[in-house]
Amino acid sequence: VRCQLSPPQRALQASAVLRRVSDEQKETFASSSQQRFDSHPTDHQPGQEPQGPRPSYTGQGGQESEDYESEEQLQHRILTAALEFVPEHGWTAEAIAEGAKTLGLSVAAAGMFHSDGSELILHFLSQCNTKLSELLEQEQKLVQLGEAEKKPTDQFLRDAVEARLRMLIPYIEKWPQALSILLLPRNIPSSLNLLTSMIDDIWHYAGDQSTDFNWYTRRAVLTGIYNTTELVMMQDSSPDFEDTWRFLENRVADAMNMRDTASQVQSTGEALVQGLMGAAVTVSNAETSQVVR
Amino acid sequence: SPAGVGSPRLCSTRGAPEGVNKPVIDRIIRVDHAGEYGANRIYAGQMAVLGRSSVGPIIQQMWNQEKDHLKKFSELMVAYRVRPTVLLPFWNVAGFVLGAGSALLGRKGAMACTVAVEESISDHYNSQIRTLIEEDPEKYKEILQTIKQFRDDELEHHDIGLEHHAEA
Repeated sequence: VRCQLSPPQRALQASAVLRRVSDEQKETFASSSQQRFDSHPTDHQPGQEPQGPRPSYTGQGGQESEDYESEEQLQHRILTAALEFVPEHGWTAEAIAEGAKTLGLSVAAAGMFHSDGSELILHFLSQCNTKLSELLEQEQKLVQLGEAEKKPTDQFLRDAVEARLRMLIPYIEKWPQALSILLLPRNIPSSLNLLTSMIDDIWHYAGDQSTDFNWYTRRAVLTGIYNTTELVMMQDSSPDFEDTWRFLENRVADAMNMRDTASQVQSTGEALVQGLMGAAVTVSNAETSQVVR
Repeated sequence: SPAGVGSPRLCSTRGAPEGVNKPVIDRIIRVDHAGEYGANRIYAGQMAVLGRSSVGPIIQQMWNQEKDHLKKFSELMVAYRVRPTVLLPFWNVAGFVLGAGSALLGRKGAMACTVAVEESISDHYNSQIRTLIEEDPEKYKEILQTIKQFRDDELEHHDIGLEHHAEA
């Protein structure tokens, strides 16, 4: 399904989809497994009867019913459903159309999105980042409760990056395609934003509290590690990607060494300056005492 | 932009309590942190030149207060997960040069510099206080308290500067 619609047409499509949803597809709609929004009175697990009172209609013969959700929420549900079809169809409008079908919507719903699958990829990235944050948050709670050991920084970073990259594994065949789409100028602000907030999250949970230029250095270094490891993973054919994790381990170790080296250079520099200052003072004292004599 | 694309959570709102206007708080904390950092470096520059003169202890005392301010903003920065300004290295040098430069002009010069800097910092804090009060005084009570306190400290520095500027 290749749908190239202009913005007004897209909006029309969206509302047409919504109307179709609320009029004809209530049962299928209500029984889909993608309900995430608790404010819906008709939310219930698939296969169960609706529980709780159904709110009354507005009474004006309007289209609005208890199945109304915002366009954004609908798009999220469609994209989430579409992920299942990515391994087969790639990050394309076909996958989105298939996803829409599972929700009981028309395949024309794919017209709401760009044909290159940008939104699908960004949606996936956002989901992965959220999952990673939740994972790190839980880990932090365990450490705070004393139920787990606090990991040393290098191991923490390794584990966090590995956990995040592993989320790509089901889609790894089609991921290079996704990476190239993310580099389109149109997508760069969003993809960069998602990348930076993910890296910031990892450092935050790693315990970074820097308020000086280190803040930037650390994030830049970790971004480099993440991106290079991701690329290595694309080419990796070893069992369970062990080559990738070894590469990751080495890069993190390099970064740690670099940090040590940098601080060593700094202390050496400081010692040198002090030595020179001392020498200067000694010389000037010597000259002064000469003059006095 | 693509019609109707619901944006995934593209901006991090983590670190701030519910309902806090993150962009506003971010900017305030970042700018204040940079300001205090710069003030620190100015006093450091002044001390490097006038440290052993008679105004040395006074400058040192004001410097210590600025160090406390910087520490407080660093804590707020970590608590609200605000990024520091990328211009820190620049303020590092510029602040020191301004402080040392004004001190080389003598005590009057150093005090005049202090008066000018503290005056503009107080104005800046005042406008931030206004912004936060306009937004929601209750929600930002803690930060408001901090900024008010610091503004009063800066005004005190301003007055000390005036005092010694007149005397010197």
